[in-house]
Amino acid sequence: MLLTINGLDKSFDRGKVRALCGVSLQLAAGKTYSILGESGSGKTTLARLIAGLERPDRGQIHYQGNLISSESQHVPAEKRAIGYMFQHYALFPHLTIAQNIAYGLKKSPRGRTVVEEMLALVNLPDYGGRYPHELSGGQQQRVALARALAMKPRLLLLDEPFSNLDTSLRVDLRTEIFAILQTTGVCAVFITHNAEDAMAISDEVIVLKAGTLLQQASPQALYARPARPYVARIFDALLELSAPLLAEFGYSAQAGRQYFLRSHHLSFASENDYRTAVTVHKSAFMGKYYEIEVAVAGQVFRVQSPAPAPEGTGELGWKESDLLVFGE
Amino acid sequence: MKKIIYILFLAVAMTACQGETSEGGETTEKTDEQVVNVYTHRHYDVDQQLFAQFEEETGIKVNVVNANADELIQKMEAEGEASPADVLITVDAGRLARAKDKELLQPVQSEFLEKTIPAHLIDTDKQWFALTKRARVIVYVKETVKPEELSTYEALADPIWKGRILIRSSSNIYNQSLLASLIANLGEDAARGWAEGVVENFARTPKGNDRDQVKAAAAGDGDLAIVNTYYLGRMLNSEDAVEANAGKAVGIFFPNQEDRGAHINISGAGVARHAPNQENAVKFIEFLASKEAQEVFAEANYEYPVNPEVEPAELLQSWGDFKEDQLPLSQLGEFNKLANLTFDVVGWP
Amino acid sequence: MAARFQTYWQKFRRNFDRWSVVALLLTLFIIVPTVFLLLQLIDGPGESWGHFVENLLPKYLQNSLYLAVVCSVLTLLLGVSSAWFSTRYDFPLRRSLEWLLILPLAIPSYITAYAYAGVFDYGGPVESLLQGLSPEAAKVDIMNIHGLAMVLSVSLYPYVYVACRAFFLHQSQSLIEASQVLGQNQVRSFFRLILPLARPAIVGGVILVLMEVLNDYGAAKYFGVNTFTTGIFKSWFGYEEFNTATYLAALLLVIIFSLILIEQRQRRRKRFVVDGKGGKRLARIRLRGTRGFLVTAVVGLPVVLGFLIPVAQLLYWAVQVYSQVAWGEYFSVAGQSLAIAGMAAALCVILATALLLAGHWNRLRWIGWLTKLGVLGYAIPGAVIAIGVYIPGLVIDKWLIRTAEATFSTKIGLVLTGTVIALIYAYIVRFLAVAFNPISAGKQKVQNSLLEASQSLGKGPWATFFRIELPLLQPALLGAFILVFIDVMKELPLTLILKPYNVQTLAIEAYQYASDERIMEAAFPSLTIVAVGVLPVIFLNRLIRQD
Repeated sequence: MLLTINGLDKSFDRGKVRALCGVSLQLAAGKTYSILGESGSGKTTLARLIAGLERPDRGQIHYQGNLISSESQHVPAEKRAIGYMFQHYALFPHLTIAQNIAYGLKKSPRGRTVVEEMLALVNLPDYGGRYPHELSGGQQQRVALARALAMKPRLLLLDEPFSNLDTSLRVDLRTEIFAILQTTGVCAVFITHNAEDAMAISDEVIVLKAGTLLQQASPQALYARPARPYVARIFDALLELSAPLLAEFGYSAQAGRQYFLRSHHLSFASENDYRTAVTVHKSAFMGKYYEIEVAVAGQVFRVQSPAPAPEGTGELGWKESDLLVFGE
Repeated sequence: MKKIIYILFLAVAMTACQGETSEGGETTEKTDEQVVNVYTHRHYDVDQQLFAQFEEETGIKVNVVNANADELIQKMEAEGEASPADVLITVDAGRLARAKDKELLQPVQSEFLEKTIPAHLIDTDKQWFALTKRARVIVYVKETVKPEELSTYEALADPIWKGRILIRSSSNIYNQSLLASLIANLGEDAARGWAEGVVENFARTPKGNDRDQVKAAAAGDGDLAIVNTYYLGRMLNSEDAVEANAGKAVGIFFPNQEDRGAHINISGAGVARHAPNQENAVKFIEFLASKEAQEVFAEANYEYPVNPEVEPAELLQSWGDFKEDQLPLSQLGEFNKLANLTFDVVGWP
Repeated sequence: MAARFQTYWQKFRRNFDRWSVVALLLTLFIIVPTVFLLLQLIDGPGESWGHFVENLLPKYLQNSLYLAVVCSVLTLLLGVSSAWFSTRYDFPLRRSLEWLLILPLAIPSYITAYAYAGVFDYGGPVESLLQGLSPEAAKVDIMNIHGLAMVLSVSLYPYVYVACRAFFLHQSQSLIEASQVLGQNQVRSFFRLILPLARPAIVGGVILVLMEVLNDYGAAKYFGVNTFTTGIFKSWFGYEEFNTATYLAALLLVIIFSLILIEQRQRRRKRFVVDGKGGKRLARIRLRGTRGFLVTAVVGLPVVLGFLIPVAQLLYWAVQVYSQVAWGEYFSVAGQSLAIAGMAAALCVILATALLLAGHWNRLRWIGWLTKLGVLGYAIPGAVIAIGVYIPGLVIDKWLIRTAEATFSTKIGLVLTGTVIALIYAYIVRFLAVAFNPISAGKQKVQNSLLEASQSLGKGPWATFFRIELPLLQPALLGAFILVFIDVMKELPLTLILKPYNVQTLAIEAYQYASDERIMEAAFPSLTIVAVGVLPVIFLNRLIRQD
């Protein structure tokens, strides 16, 4: 394993704010990861701990087999050779693009070729003499990436790289950066609050909530087998089905478990495993789907259906394989 | 930009080094150069001129620290045996007496000084010697006051002068010495009564310096002002027409001529107790009391010379001779603190 | 309890590093004189204390309080209005007025006081004018406490102006627009939004003004106004009670420190900095015609009062005594002044930076707080600092003399107090705050992520400092250097006490002429201080603007 984290705790303000509790994870060389979480989930703190910008209260971090962080031991960030790309790029305003990229390198002819390589890599070959403020946001970002990669780190942390960009641009840039990272073979860790970004670029996604690691899994596994309702909710609106409601559909619930359905998994199709008659209140066309408000046994909820609902009443149902069961 | 900073630092560092070495040379005794270190409250161009003359005649270099006498005394006291001071010069007797009290001065045996300077202008233990004299006198507005109405300092407390007297604040040493002389001559209670009376007679809240009092008198803000002769002399010869005219509008009156005489104060010098260059210090004071130096003092600065062989400046002569208070000047120092406290009690700001 | 101590001790051991040591040592180095003075509080005052409290203290306190209040209000009016108009509006002469407004900083306030006394004196321009209008007209007397408050205010308002201007320049357009959209007009936006937001800047400026007012001795003495500081000098020299003087100084220190603490506590929870990502800077509104000229007049008034009038009076005097100036000596004195001020300013900047960084790099929070004590010296009157430096300095000097005699059997002089070392050290103690504050503000503007980026690129704290922070801090460092430089050029009481042999400064020369009632001769050295101060002030202004 490239990086192993065991039981990491970190709090701020003399313990008043707990940023991370008992986080453990492993990262393998050459793969791409995302740390996904809302603001305040501790994702940035985790990245900063890995980079050595913070010290943990408890727990250990091993990098390439060596202990780099623990309660008593701390390898300073500058000795870790872990790349870090900052959210607002943190380009040095008084240095040119080339000087920025060369910053972490030893002064040598070799260094100069590395700068050229990096500029070519990020597709900014003629920009070496410019200053950061003369570049557009996307270009600045690529410079920040080039600067971090120039050190040839085996692990690169990218803090919210796409959060400053609007949707169309972010997809382009995401693809571009992903391609660049692929050519270098670096283990990249994206810190992001955007599920789509995380799914699009990662081999594995690490979900954090309120300082706790909920799940580390591939995008497919994350979607198919979410460890918590929270993880499933990242992707879709969920409907919680209570035991009496399940009974309406002819499904017998077990005690101590929670049952959820993604709202587009309810439909009026006839091949559903469980079905029940419902009253349709309202049906609205949303483009990709119809949002339909229905009532089952006096309880009102919304369903996303590919087809419009029948007038008045209909037979609503779902497939057994789509049911998400948590607990036990 | 970087270059400018480097050059600046370099320049600063160089001057710093220069300053240091030259000072080191002066304070150590290993060098053969003869020096005398002077702590002085006097800061007149004429002094500079005399110091240069002394250097030329004797080859002894004069090092000068210029500051208020109070601060100089504080400095000497703190320095103790390590003090580099050879000579202390102040512009009033009270401060010299204080220095003596604090055992900062040493007795000097000098036939020349004792022969040249009148006895009441020398400390009883020969620890300090007057160099020049100034009288604190009453000036009156010629238009509104006749000199016959004036007699003594004491009479200034009389209610007929209500709202007519101009005098500066009590933080000034010359006022402190005047009150100290009254305490010494009349006793504490009478002196306090006098101060109360004068406060009652103030034309305005004390402010400004001696020259300002004369200007205010000339402008009609009051009828009398209490000032030093030395400042009046300067005013009359001022480049500034307003000052000169103000000086001309007032007459000068030496008080207490029927009894003890007008209050005088001195500028004087003593040899520091721990003087590293004691001989040079004595030579230096002797030089300042010499005829040639006294003539320079008298001509340039409107001070009365202490050397009887030297005539005062023409202007001073035109004011006529006057009788001086013979009170031993050391008493001004003794009563200085009491004078200060008295000023506070009577509300003389 | 014991367990708590245990954890604390562990935390201490884990976090106490070489930066903690550096920070502690530097702080100690700076606050020795202050601590020495505060210790006087334990000793208590001298025997005249009762007399002082009974007869003088109430009046002195009343005067100081009056000056503090009136000067705060006046400098606030002058400083905030001129800063607001010159950043928000465009009007005739704006670009010149922007830097002219700072110039009063270059004139020592006691010299402004002398000049104003001259302006209103008998035969001076004001009296002549009034006499010309009507021979019956009374002289306008400004030599009283009201006049003093006025003179100090026109001479000190730039402290508020500079602080507010820097703040206004960094406000984003969107804030004002938001306020306008919410139905507030320009004037109401100013009072409801900008003024409350600018509070830290305004308070920072006013505190500087207050400290200058409380430290002033020369102007108050000449105007015949007795203040708290008069009391310090009076008990020191009049009563010959040094302990009473230091006791008073220590009390003053406590009062000022409490004021600062109260202010900081009150605003602790609020945030005043708006995250200015993107956000356009404030755009100026162009004023034409009468309104433009009206604003020019309003903004120009402080310049006329604080700079042009005193300088004109000084020039008038200087011309009259021009023929008597000894140029050789004059240049030598000017040279010494420049060298001393340059040296003190450079050291102040270096030490302030070191203190700031050590406080920042060390990981124990209380040590970081402690370093802030280094700026206390600014609140102490110069003469008192001189004593706080002088007495401990002498103890060391005497020890050095004894040691040198015993070990090398050589006689040495007063190594510290007899040379510029003590003088420069005292300047550092007094003016460190002047350098510390702009550097600290500059440091806050250097985003942490830049430093972390450097770290993540393999550079340690030193390399990061020299390659990232120092270049980015350069404008702030230069600004700090200039401010200290000007302050040292103007400084008087401390220099009087601590200056070594044959060292003469312009400020001392001006003061000595003035105290010998030769105001006209004082004009030349005063004007030189002004001239030396004006150039860096112009430069400083360019820095603020670029920034």
